[in-house]
Amino acid sequence: MNEFSSADRRVRKYFFYGGTVLLFLILWNGFFRIQISGSEKFSEISMNNTVRELTEYPARGVIRDTYGNILVDNRPSFMISVIPRRMTNQTLTALAQLLEEKKASIRKKLRGRNSFRPVIIKRDVDYTTVTRLEERRLDFPGVIVEVEPKRYYPENVFSPHIFGYVGEVSRAETRGGKKFEAGELIGKSGLEYTYDTNLRGMKGTRFVRVDAEGRELGPLSEERDTQAEPGLDLYLTLDYNIQQFAESLMVGKRGAIVALNANTGGLITFVSKPDFDPRNLSGKISPEVWDALQNDPGHPLYNRITQSVYPPGSTFKLVAVAAALQEKIITPDWSVYCPGYFKLGRKTIKCWNQKGHGKISLLEAIKGSCNVYFYQLGLKIGLETWAKYSKMFFFGKPTGIDLPNEKGGLVPTVEYFNKRYGKNGWTKGNLANLAIGQGELLVTPLQMAQLAMILANKGIVHVPHLADYLYDNKNQRRFKFPVQTKYVQGISEEVYNVIREGMRRVVDGGTGWRGGVYGIPVAGKTGTAQNPHGDDHAWFIGFAPYDNPALAIAVIVENAGGGGANAAPLASLVMEKYFYKRLLPRIVPKKDTTETVPDFQMPPPFVPDSIPRMEVILGTN
Amino acid sequence: MTSRFDYITLFLVTILVCIGMLAIYSASSFTGTGGAEYFNRQALWAVLGFSIMISVGFLPAKTLQQISYSFYAFMIVTLIYVLFFGKVGKGAERWIAIGSVHFQPSEFAKLATIMAVSSFLSEKYADVNRLKYFSGAVGLILLPFLLIARQPDLGTAMVFLAIIIPLLYWAGLHWFYIFVIVTPLLTMLLSFNFVAFLILMLLIVLVLILSRKKPIVLVAVFLMNIIVGIVTPTIWGQLRPYQQQRIMTFMNPEKDPQGAGYQIIQSQVAIGSGGFWGKGYLKGSQTHLRFLPAQHTDFIFSVIGEEFGFFGVSIVLFFLFLLIVRLIHLASTMKNGFASMTIIGIATVLGFHVFINIGMTIGLAPVTGLPLPFISYGGSFLLANLLMMGVVMNIAGKRFEF
Repeated sequence: MNEFSSADRRVRKYFFYGGTVLLFLILWNGFFRIQISGSEKFSEISMNNTVRELTEYPARGVIRDTYGNILVDNRPSFMISVIPRRMTNQTLTALAQLLEEKKASIRKKLRGRNSFRPVIIKRDVDYTTVTRLEERRLDFPGVIVEVEPKRYYPENVFSPHIFGYVGEVSRAETRGGKKFEAGELIGKSGLEYTYDTNLRGMKGTRFVRVDAEGRELGPLSEERDTQAEPGLDLYLTLDYNIQQFAESLMVGKRGAIVALNANTGGLITFVSKPDFDPRNLSGKISPEVWDALQNDPGHPLYNRITQSVYPPGSTFKLVAVAAALQEKIITPDWSVYCPGYFKLGRKTIKCWNQKGHGKISLLEAIKGSCNVYFYQLGLKIGLETWAKYSKMFFFGKPTGIDLPNEKGGLVPTVEYFNKRYGKNGWTKGNLANLAIGQGELLVTPLQMAQLAMILANKGIVHVPHLADYLYDNKNQRRFKFPVQTKYVQGISEEVYNVIREGMRRVVDGGTGWRGGVYGIPVAGKTGTAQNPHGDDHAWFIGFAPYDNPALAIAVIVENAGGGGANAAPLASLVMEKYFYKRLLPRIVPKKDTTETVPDFQMPPPFVPDSIPRMEVILGTN
Repeated sequence: MTSRFDYITLFLVTILVCIGMLAIYSASSFTGTGGAEYFNRQALWAVLGFSIMISVGFLPAKTLQQISYSFYAFMIVTLIYVLFFGKVGKGAERWIAIGSVHFQPSEFAKLATIMAVSSFLSEKYADVNRLKYFSGAVGLILLPFLLIARQPDLGTAMVFLAIIIPLLYWAGLHWFYIFVIVTPLLTMLLSFNFVAFLILMLLIVLVLILSRKKPIVLVAVFLMNIIVGIVTPTIWGQLRPYQQQRIMTFMNPEKDPQGAGYQIIQSQVAIGSGGFWGKGYLKGSQTHLRFLPAQHTDFIFSVIGEEFGFFGVSIVLFFLFLLIVRLIHLASTMKNGFASMTIIGIATVLGFHVFINIGMTIGLAPVTGLPLPFISYGGSFLLANLLMMGVVMNIAGKRFEF
């Protein structure tokens, strides 16, 4: 055994020492990396591991009308979440069975999620299901039942287009904003969307200690917890009393009624029909309900006030008047003879009044809504000027209301026609048509209400809005949304005076006489918009009182026929309700009255038989 | 019988067993349930183990060498018996029941094998560089390896493979043979990266030329490496996806946080969250909330890492290091071949266990189920380790008698 004392063995010995040192250094370095360099990261993971972060969902802010009546409230509802890491196939099967869902769809929800944090599987679970789950608690390790507020609408509250609805964050929103966890509820449309950040409040977090089995062992420490902050209450400019009344007027009809405060732009009524029950989109939305809404031929999901565009018909003649007077193309005295038709080249265009208006000047033409007069006026103005003034009145672009997806409509210009029909492809006929509000021109009901407000205020525009202020219940503070005001530049007061006088005459014995309100001088304009898809749309826009306007209104009833007969009465009723807070017995003004309107006094008692029947001017323009 | 104990080894072993007991107490005391059960049992085993260790230390000088073959034969028979009649534990038959006590013979087979090989290679005229002795020694090791791998207990079986090279090298195996054994393994690992493979081949050629062996040997070795390098990726391609998955999980545990990687991640989290000073004894949240798998056995070091931090880890590592260095030192002072080789074999087994077990807790080594000597909970394992130390003390105490 000489070998074991040879020099060769000394070399071998050092190999062993060296190897041992190396291996221990590798280990030591490994611990250094994890415990010193990676300490922070692993501590955090450790926290996530042994401490479960529970999200406390705050109550969403309540939406109220201008008098504080609750329009959108909250009610508790149950939701079921699971902790992905604790899900066994067995539990999953049992859960799928309980919730009557497919296992694959639950799996899909868990994919790619933090395996220690609860993932919401189902919302708005009914009470019996929750009871059944609690009874068989041991079969459902890692399944959590939580309570969260759900949107609730008091009886008689509808107006889905105003409020919109709340829904779960889709994957896309999770990635984009990064601030939402998938499954969290956010406003998807309407005011819920626009004021989502204010209404949503702040999520709170509660930390509880859990063991590896996922059992909660109690709170970690109160200091780390953050309370959920409830959302702010949203007060609207809306008067829901009038809103409800206006909605009742539109039952069975398609169209819209928009009334706004001419001094602030705050919307008072905002009715778009047909609509749907907002309760159907609160909580879980059944696919059948959704499909039915989407495929309904009446398009109830559409907010007609901001998302539907119509030809405005004769209501748009007011814009032509403004252009003609301001550009000094005519004076109010400029007259035209209306034989009931108008020849343009080889074409003959009829006036609505086939008997003809005879020789009329501007104010008479507005009052009688004479097409022949405005055809000729349109030709004198020219497309370029007409388009310029249309845009001055903010047509062709969204008003900026606090609702999502507002449309801007369309104001055709020379470029537009050149592009559409070719340089010489369009004629003066197109222009004549535009002057009476037909043709390619498209507007939203809200833009028409805005026009009424501009004329009422002689150029001052307040951006239409629904939200008045936010109220923080906790700190009792109010956050008022400032009224945004714009001014229509370059139209003189004289021009407004002429237009307004014309509008006053429209209601005062003109085509819009049904738009009048007892004791309140109303100015307005009717419109009967032809449309290629069916019967004419009935329009009425107006404001009141004439001297010191408080309210501007626009009414459209789709395929209803003449504006004077079918839209103006609705406007009248809404205004009446607004000014008197109740309905008056019908007072029928005399035709062509020039008397000054008497001061308001209590109207005589309502006796239906005593109302004189008026001859109805059918197809009033 | 003038016996001089190796007090340094005794001291280090005692310290490590005490640390182990502390850690076991902590690992098994959960919130709500008492943790004394495992502690008491381990204490009982420790008392028994220490008595055996000291008794073995007092055995007469030549006895160990004399019984080494019989011990080996007995262990082989036991392993065969276990293979057919063993108790099933964790899906592998590796236990043998004596009364109410369950034994794991593979733990003792390590010592038996080391002693048998040492005995074989320390015979007169034995030369490990000759084919007869080389293959004999390797055969002695491979037999228990195969029996244990069949159980299947791949972790423990790996220990047998791991002692081949160190033991034979210590016995005097020429470096060229080691080179011939080691290079194919390296080639296997590097064959997936073409550049690395090329560099390795160049190095092999360089070493081969410098070795001045016969040309035919050189060519054979080179060709063998080339073939291994080509075949490995091919076999990999033919592995079933789940098999690849297992290997990949080992390489990158975070890829599979729910499966095997879960253990490694949880262990890393426990250790990492310990920071420098640790969370304090009995205060490891990962440990006490049962996030760690097998925390009183295979992942006992994670408990130490979490509760005592980098500071505590360094101390425990240092004691383990000292013990192994002490064994190497003892082995190198032995004049007797059997004594020297036995101790180096034991040192290798310890070192392998330590590196694989601790490396596993921080993701440096695969999860194989190898416990940590002296510290992990487990009766037969503690007993086997203390028996090994008894052998070391016996040899070390009588080194002047050889």
